[in-house]
Amino acid sequence: MSGISLRGVSKRYGSVDVVHGVDIEIDKGEFCVFVGPSGCGKTTLLRMIAGLEEISGGDIFIDGRRVNGIDPARRGAAMVFQNYALYPHMTVEQNMGFGLRMNGHPRAEVATRVKDAARLLQIQDLLTRKPRQLSGGQRQRVAIGRAIVRNPQVFLFDEPLSNLDAELRAQTRVELAKLHHQLAGSTMVYVTHDQVEAMTLADKIVVLRAGVVEQIGAPMELYESPANIFVAGFIGSPKMNFVNVSAERDALRLDDGSQLARPQTKTAPQRLGVRADQLTIIDPEKGAIRGEVSVVERLGDSELVHVRTAWEQEIVVRVPGGTNSRVGSTVGLALAGRVHFFDAEGQAITVTSQARTND
Amino acid sequence: MRSDAVEKDRGGLPALSPRVKRMLVSIVLAALCAIWVYPLIWMLFASLRPNAMIFADEGLIPSQPTLENYARAWTEANMGSYFFNTLFVTVGSVILVTIATAMMGYVLGRSSFPGRAALFGLLVFTLFVPQGYTIIPIFELLSSLGLGQSLLGVMLATTAGSFVIFVLLFAGYFSQMPDELEEAARMDGVGFVKTFWFVMLPLSKPIIVTVIVMQTLYAWNDFLLPLVITLANPSIRTLSVGVYAFKGENFIDWGGMMAASAITIIPVVILFLLLQRYFIDGLAGAVKG
Repeated sequence: MSGISLRGVSKRYGSVDVVHGVDIEIDKGEFCVFVGPSGCGKTTLLRMIAGLEEISGGDIFIDGRRVNGIDPARRGAAMVFQNYALYPHMTVEQNMGFGLRMNGHPRAEVATRVKDAARLLQIQDLLTRKPRQLSGGQRQRVAIGRAIVRNPQVFLFDEPLSNLDAELRAQTRVELAKLHHQLAGSTMVYVTHDQVEAMTLADKIVVLRAGVVEQIGAPMELYESPANIFVAGFIGSPKMNFVNVSAERDALRLDDGSQLARPQTKTAPQRLGVRADQLTIIDPEKGAIRGEVSVVERLGDSELVHVRTAWEQEIVVRVPGGTNSRVGSTVGLALAGRVHFFDAEGQAITVTSQARTND
Repeated sequence: MRSDAVEKDRGGLPALSPRVKRMLVSIVLAALCAIWVYPLIWMLFASLRPNAMIFADEGLIPSQPTLENYARAWTEANMGSYFFNTLFVTVGSVILVTIATAMMGYVLGRSSFPGRAALFGLLVFTLFVPQGYTIIPIFELLSSLGLGQSLLGVMLATTAGSFVIFVLLFAGYFSQMPDELEEAARMDGVGFVKTFWFVMLPLSKPIIVTVIVMQTLYAWNDFLLPLVITLANPSIRTLSVGVYAFKGENFIDWGGMMAASAITIIPVVILFLLLQRYFIDGLAGAVKG
């Protein structure tokens, strides 16, 4: 049975359409991440699933039940807010048990459930503290704990890591992945603008832009076969390099006049996309693209070499750490691996036989 | 009084060191303070003099101090029972005002409903109506409710004093609360009333303190309204009205009046000394809120 199902869901604020008829199927127990730039409607979509935002059109089903117009508390979903939304005047224990207590659960049961959740999140020592006495990471755990005690079928996370510093974010990301494993069977919907979080946490990624679903798929599926130029550029770090090409009969011409072999495609490619690690630096005379090294970012295990081409575009190449590329030197770039082609509308073009790229 | 603000005004005198400046400021403030406090001190000492000696030229300290003014005021002039009347009016109106204005402020500050702006406008408009104009309608209203001659009526009438300001204070404060708190409560399945009572009201403590402090002072000191309502029934007078009653047609009992004034003021002074921090926070909260 489906965990959550969105059918033709749209949202309007007055005359402004924010979400345009979105269809998404999320399986039970799946970790689904909505990712996209700010203003793409991902949080609105999450809030519509939660019931905090009215649905302007379409239907939302949770566990097979249509939930349009059903009270948030009766949808079997718990939400973790971006700024945690802990009640400042209550202790951690009271925060976690508040919903249960208000709904008439016996004191003993509330205490047990709070203790269990606290043990799972390793915050047993913090139960008597107030939110302001906690660090950001601890508040985050309490907010998750408040969701867990309700024992929901669906967890909704609204950018839960965006208020944490980089180190803590990476750490909490791993813990969230573990938590999903421990709470097997509960569906999680997670909103973020950070594609790294999406890639590392998700079973399924939904890429949104301007209220429209651009692509849905498993992380590596999106990484390896993006449906369009937006997804290609959004997923993966550093960003995919895009180069304008003009298609000739059996060659692709770059802006500086050099040529590449043309792959067999139905439509003529207008843009070529290649990831930084699918390029290699070779002798300037031999490369498909020539350019000058402008910046080198040393990451330790690898280096990101920014190469400025003859037509003034920066192309990023990932080379092994310790290569010590020199700024200002002229280099050639070879397309060493997978290359993506896009048509004039930015849609991916399927290549019937992959081109050998070096002339 | 904020000494740093005064200091800034004197920033044009660079020759003075900060220390000297602070001393100068302190001296000026102390002088102002003395002028301000002197009548109160005089009142306290005068209340300890026999009536014949009130205006005798013997200096500030009475030569034959006596407590007979207090005894007379407390029993013969009924200040004792007025004291408890005032206590009832103050405590009752503070409780009513705090709960009612918080609830009204919450709805006005956080919900949008048709006519909200008009309601706000109407509330603000009432601030411009002088109290004198409202006394007759209030008296009529109380009479038609059958409360015109009762202490309960005085108490109810007193709640209206700064009601609108308190509602606006609460509305302003609640409107700044993050939406997520309410939304978290909604996700938790907590209803509107419980969210208000258990989440929002405890968080508005600064405004609650402000309202309690300001309403206490207002109810304790209010004069005109209780004077009108209690005209026909002296037994339900409050302290401030009771003090005024010492002014007779032909003779003013100055000693008794001073003692009665002291009885009126001393509880507020004691309250202030005990709750000084809350008073200052409360009034500062009113400015910030």
